[in-house]
Order: sequence, then C-alpha cells, then structure tokens
Amino acid sequence: MKIKIIIASLIILIGIVFGAVSFMESSVEYTGFSAAKSTHRKVHVKGEWVREKGGEFDATKSQFVFYMRDDDDEEMKVVLEGAKPNNFEVATSIVVKGSYQNGYFHASELLTKCPSKYEGDAESVKKML
Amino acid sequence: MIGNIVVKIAFASAFLSVLCYFQSYRKRSGTYLPYARGSFHIAVLGVMIAAALLLFYILTHQFQYTYVWNYSSTDLPVPLLISTFYAGQEGSFMLWTLYTCILGIFLMQYSMRKGYETEVMAVYSVILSFLLLMLVVKNPFAYIWDTFPNELIRSGPLQADMVNFVWLDQARGMWAQFPTEGKGLNPLLQNYWMVIHPQVLFTGFTTMSVPFTFAMAGLLRRDYHDWVKVAKPWTVFAAAVLGTGIMLGGFWAYETLGWGGFWGWDPVENSSLIPWLISVASIHTMMSQRRSGTFVRTNFVLAILSYVLVLYSTFLTRSGVLGETSVHSFVDPGMWAYWLLLAFITIFTTAGFGLLVMRLREMPKIPVEHSILSREFALFLGASTIVFVAMFVLIGTSSPIITEILEGKKSAVDQSFYVKTTLPPGILIALLSGIGQLLWWRNSKKGKFFLSLLYPFVGALVFTGGLIVFGMRDIPIAIFTFASAFSLFVNVLVGYRIFKGNPRFAGGSIAHIGLALMFLGFVSSVRYDDKATVSLEKGKTVEVLSGYKLTYVGYHPLERERYAFNVEVEKDGRRFSVAPIMYYSDFSQGLVRNPDIINLFTKDFYISPLSLEEPQKNGTRSVTLRKGESIQVSDVSVRFVDFDFSDVQKGKMLEGGSFVIGAILEIEKNGKKERIVPKMKNTRGEIEYVMAQSSLNKNEFSIVKMMPDREDPSNSKLEFSVRDPQSTSAAKGEETLIVEASIKPFINLVWVGTLTVVLGFIVTVYRRRQEARGEGE
Repeated sequence: MKIKIIIASLIILIGIVFGAVSFMESSVEYTGFSAAKSTHRKVHVKGEWVREKGGEFDATKSQFVFYMRDDDDEEMKVVLEGAKPNNFEVATSIVVKGSYQNGYFHASELLTKCPSKYEGDAESVKKML
Repeated sequence: MIGNIVVKIAFASAFLSVLCYFQSYRKRSGTYLPYARGSFHIAVLGVMIAAALLLFYILTHQFQYTYVWNYSSTDLPVPLLISTFYAGQEGSFMLWTLYTCILGIFLMQYSMRKGYETEVMAVYSVILSFLLLMLVVKNPFAYIWDTFPNELIRSGPLQADMVNFVWLDQARGMWAQFPTEGKGLNPLLQNYWMVIHPQVLFTGFTTMSVPFTFAMAGLLRRDYHDWVKVAKPWTVFAAAVLGTGIMLGGFWAYETLGWGGFWGWDPVENSSLIPWLISVASIHTMMSQRRSGTFVRTNFVLAILSYVLVLYSTFLTRSGVLGETSVHSFVDPGMWAYWLLLAFITIFTTAGFGLLVMRLREMPKIPVEHSILSREFALFLGASTIVFVAMFVLIGTSSPIITEILEGKKSAVDQSFYVKTTLPPGILIALLSGIGQLLWWRNSKKGKFFLSLLYPFVGALVFTGGLIVFGMRDIPIAIFTFASAFSLFVNVLVGYRIFKGNPRFAGGSIAHIGLALMFLGFVSSVRYDDKATVSLEKGKTVEVLSGYKLTYVGYHPLERERYAFNVEVEKDGRRFSVAPIMYYSDFSQGLVRNPDIINLFTKDFYISPLSLEEPQKNGTRSVTLRKGESIQVSDVSVRFVDFDFSDVQKGKMLEGGSFVIGAILEIEKNGKKERIVPKMKNTRGEIEYVMAQSSLNKNEFSIVKMMPDREDPSNSKLEFSVRDPQSTSAAKGEETLIVEASIKPFINLVWVGTLTVVLGFIVTVYRRRQEARGEGE
C-alpha cells in the first residue's frame, strides 16, 4: 500500500520536473540577429527578405541562400537547409529558426507570413466578376 | 438568407430543448420530455436543411455566397467540390454540428433505453446549442457583397449584357455584382484524402462528447458507477474513430503532402492527438472501475477532460492565438468567434469540474485492496503515463500562449521537445502494456508472475541484442525497442491464449500488439531513416544511399499545368520508376511538391522533389531594374543607366531588318566605375543576346528582357542576368532535378500497427456493447 503511493507520487514528480526542464530547454526565443550572434542557442528571427540581393539555391549542398533584414534593421546572410520555401516571394515577412554560425545564420526552418487574407481577397474578388 | 434563418431557428429550438430537458431534470417529471425531444428534433431537422442548402449552393456554384466563392470553383471534380463544404472554418463548424445532430438521434435512443435520457440529452443539447451559436456568428451563408461592399455594391445603370448581379434596392438603383468564378480549393487539399480525412476526424470529435455527457449525467444523478458501463462502448468507439482519423492524417502527410514523415508535431496534428490520448487513458481506468470499483473520480476527470481538450484544441487551431509559430496558416476567425470559443471552453470546464467538486465529498470511498502486483496498479500507472504524454504534448502545443503570458512574447518549442518528452513515457507505456496483461486483478502470485515474464523477457533481450550487434547504438532507443518487443511478445502469447478461449475478449491484446508494432515502426522508420539530397542531371545516373541508382529522364505535363518528373530507380537489378510532381500554384503563389514512394516489403524508398534547375540559370542570377536604379550584385554595384537605341533606325526596324539595342550598365567597385553595354541583336527576327564582361570582377552581364516605357521613359525597366564564370556550381549542361531521397525502413510496421490498434478497438467496442446491452436491459 505504502510502496504503491511512493511509486505513484515519484513517477508524477519525475514527470513534472522532466516536463518543465525539457520545456525550458526547448523553448525557442524570438530575437534579432544581434542577439543571435551572442548566443549559440537556437532562436527565431523575424524579418524581411532583402529582395534586391536575390536568393540562390545551391544544388550541391541543397541549401537556399539569401539575405534577410530583421525587425531591428540588421541584415544578415541566411543559409536555409532545403529548397526555397513556397510563398517566399509573396511573403510580407518571414521567420527563420536556427542559430548563428561563423558569419551567417544557419536556418533549419523558415515560415512565411502572407499578406492579410482580406486585402488579397478584395483584390481577387474584382478579378472574378 | 434562408440558410441563415434556418440556422437561427435551429439554434432557438436547440436552446429550448436545453431548457425543457433541464426542467424535467429539476422537476423529475416527464411532462417536459415531449417538448424537449420535439425541439431537439426540430433543431436536427434545421441543421440538416441548412447543411443541404450549403451543399446545394456549392454544387450549383452560387458565388453570391462568400463561403462558396472563397473555397470552391467551377473546375473542381464533384467529390472535391463536395469536400469544399468543410474546407473553411464556417463549413467545418457546419459539418461538426451536422454530425452532432446525427449522433444526437442515436444517443437519444440509446440513453432512453438505458434510462439516462434527461441528463444526457440536457448536456448534449447544450453542446449542440453552442455549436449552433457558433454558426450564427460564423455564418456560412453570408452574401459576398456584404463581405466586400466597397468592391461589389454599385448604383446607377446596369451594363447591358450583365447577368451576375442582384438588385439590392431597385427604387434607389442599388445593385451588387457577384463573381462568376470562385477562388478554388487549396491545391494541397485537392486529393482523395480531403474527401475522407476531415469526415473521420469530425466524427471522432463528435463522439468524444458522448463520454462527457454520460459523466455529467452520472454527476447530476449521483450515479458514480453505472454510467461507466453505459459510456464505455462510446469511449472506445470515439477513440477508434479519432485514432483512425489521426492515422489517415499521418498517411496523407506522408503520401501526398511530402512532409517526409507521417508526423510533424504540428499544432493541428497535436490538437487531435491530445484528446485521443486522454480517451485511451480513460478506457483503461473505466475498465478498472468496472472490474473492481476503483478510479471513480479519475474516470469523471478523464471523461470531462477529453471533451474539454477537444474544445481547447479547436480553440488553439482556429482562434489564431498561435500566430506565426506554426507552418499552418491560421485564419483569424474574428473577435466574436474567438470569445465564443473561449466562453465555450470556460463554461464546459467550470461546469464539469465544478459539479465534480460539489459531488466529491459524497462519492463512495473504495478502500484500496489491490497490491502492487495487481492489474489495477498497472492500469493506474499506464493511464497516468498516457495522461503525462498528453500533458507534455498539450504544454508544447500551447507554448506560444504560455510564453506570451510568462515572458510577454510568443515562442514555440522546438520539435525535439516532443521527441525528448515522449520517449521515456513511451518506454514505460510499452513495458506496462506487457506487464499489465500478465497481472491478475487485485493480486497476483509472485512466482507465477515472474515465471510468465521469462519467455517474453528473454525474447525481447535476444531481439534487441541482435539489433545492437547489427548497429543500434543509441541507448534510450535500444531500451525503447526492448520494451516494445517485450510488449509484443507478451501480447502475442496472451492474445493467442485468449483468442483460443473467446475471440471477443482479445480486443485488448490485439490493440496492444498493434501498439508494439507501431512503436517498433517508429524506431525503424524515424530513428533509422536515411536521407540524401541529390542533383540529378538529366540522363546521368547517380548512386545514392548505398546502391540506389537514380536517373532523371525528363518531365511530362499532367492535367492542369502540373508536371511529373520521371526518375528511374535501380537497386540490385530491380527497376522502378517514380514520378514526383511539382507545379506552380496560383492559389498559394508558390511551388507545390508531391513526393512519390516505392513501397517495398521491408522499406519505403521516398523521393521528394525540391526544384528543377534549368541549365542556363546555373551560376547566374537574374535581376530587374528600373532606369536609374542600382543594385548590389556580389561585390559590385550595378546601375541601369538607359537603353542605347543609337543603332536603331526606325526604317530598319519596321522593315524587319537588322538592328542592335544596348543596355548601358554602370558598374562600381571600390570607387572605380566603368560602363558596359550588353546588347540584343535582331537579325530579321532572329534574336541573339551579346553579353558584356565587367573588367572589375569578370562577371558576364546579358540582357534577358527589355521593357521600355514610351510614355514615361523614366519607368523603363530592364531584366538582365549576371553570371560568374568562376562560379563553382555546375555551369553548363542539361537541366537538373534536385530531389531528396530517403529510405524509411519497415515503415509498413507503422501502418500495420495502427490498423491492428483500430482492429483491437473495434473488437472491444463490439464486446462492450454486448456487455452494456446484456446487463442494462
């Protein structure tokens, strides 16, 4: 009877601590490039694609390379693992997830944010009359 | 307009039904029951009419309705056209409401037979009323000119041949035009999965409400035990259906969407997984209460929690709270819907747990009689571990909300969080699903129990040992594999024995066998998958992933401007061909990619296309500049000065003679400037581009397209390309297809495992229904 309660509460306690610690470790912050430079942890950076500098897919390494300006107006080269994401050209802002490495931001994921649906819809409804 | 009115009437009568059912509960009399049933049936009828109307509008392309315009188009085949019914938020709430109604008819009959009607249907009508209120707010029957008044409402004379208009106010000459074509369905959703998957998922969500209503009924009538017997078949059924839905979603992601795997820990996937886990935990504790009267409170908590979590998940994925932290784009549903969903959750949570707390004191305290070696204790540990997994996934999925409250800004956990937190409980679940089967209720004989562990234990040890020799080096994964293999062996042995006795009782063992197979499939296909990105130059064979010879042979167009890219695969003399698909979608304004898979018995060979590189583009970039603008290209700055028409004589051009047009570019590097002029030569209609090389960085500049503006010369534009001759990327040659090839060993285990789990559920539903019927009547 007693052993059971001890086992049960132990498991619950371990579970809670384990969950909390993992949560802290895995939470990926939103920062700017300057903050990303000073830490080697994985972070999110939100910003805009620097359109003038284009973007290139390096077929040999399978990486998409482009320049990005974060919300604090700091610009950095971004190397994304994988091909150019869908909606990349039309995105109003992008979020990259990854970490800073010698001279560039190495991104494992990229999310695109598209123009507000309503504005887009108001335009397209006119075209379909 | 009719649709809207019908929905409102349905809402009103559902609400009336709530009042009547609660009245008959309070007065404990049957006087109000006919009214309650009547108004419930009117609500059901209303919803059916509204749903039929929406379907009719979709099938007949009535684009004067915003919803129809927003999600369908005339070029969709009929099954997909039908599926646009639930492609958007309004429609999916409509589908959910419709299923709630259909299920409600059966539930009313069932609860009547079991004598639970008043309480069960009282709570169930509350659920229906809320869903209908949601439909009143998020109206699928909104007219498009109400959505876009500025664009569509006009006044004044009509154009002569116009048919797509309606008069809004003929006296004042006000009319509205509506579109003749719809925006269409997101191409990612355009396949047969869209026809089945949401249906199954919403059936699952709907059925999840039944255990909740029975738990509430139990609390209302102070029935703390019998409700479990009546609710159990529904709980198993709900878990079976929702589980099937989740599995179909995973298969969809794997087979068509090209996510590379069957599970991405995305909020949308997680949000159906969480209530499913809770319902699975609840099945286990319900079984224990039926056997030995334990877990009275736990069962109430889990039944309430599973539905509250369905609602919370809906809130997470439909309210826009997750913001930019997910790959799915969440449409903001508007303030009303947001608060309504929040109110929905709050009310059900407080009502459920509030009532439970009120009744807590009078609940019978069952003295705990089972020992540590009892099935009850194993079930308790197993169920709590499952709840832990659900909580971890819940916390991870809600992390944007949690971090916003704690830190003031949204951030999401990394995918690794889920893998890390679910592995240890996964090991525990696997072990317990084996051990639990060997234990007896109340108490087990130690000697006999340990003896029965022997064969499966040794078997799992040998199995895992073999894999370690084979190259499995990851210790936690090896432990997980051992636990899964152990569970598999135990359940096969136990299951076989039960099956020989009475096949109907084998549901549990079958489900656990499936689970163990699934776990083993996770290890092999996710942990030991092998990936490589390859550039396939047309016609050249490349060998990847030890022994797969890939040859890209060219592409061919499919219907609707889609392209299939044919790749020949050869492995040990066997030949296959795959044809992954890529196309540009206007809808999502980007490339859509569909993978292709070779399904072999022991593995899948998975090819996902990344891009097609045209030969001339290799090592070059193309830039468009307006007159006077400049741009940074690698280490120089380039300014487009003007076109050079000096060679063009009007006469020559008109006669179709030869002429040359140049584009003057100013190159600047470290303060040094130079002008170069790439040219376009037109020799009797044959066009040739002549590049110009910069002496500053040796790059070659060529004209791609000229866009002179005669009316406003300052608006003239030039598209040109820059090539770095020293560039390392493969310069000349054939078009190159870039693909990601991967091998998923034994992924069939995942599919076979999930199917087996579902089969186990079905056997159990069948048996529990018999049990509920046999003892209830």
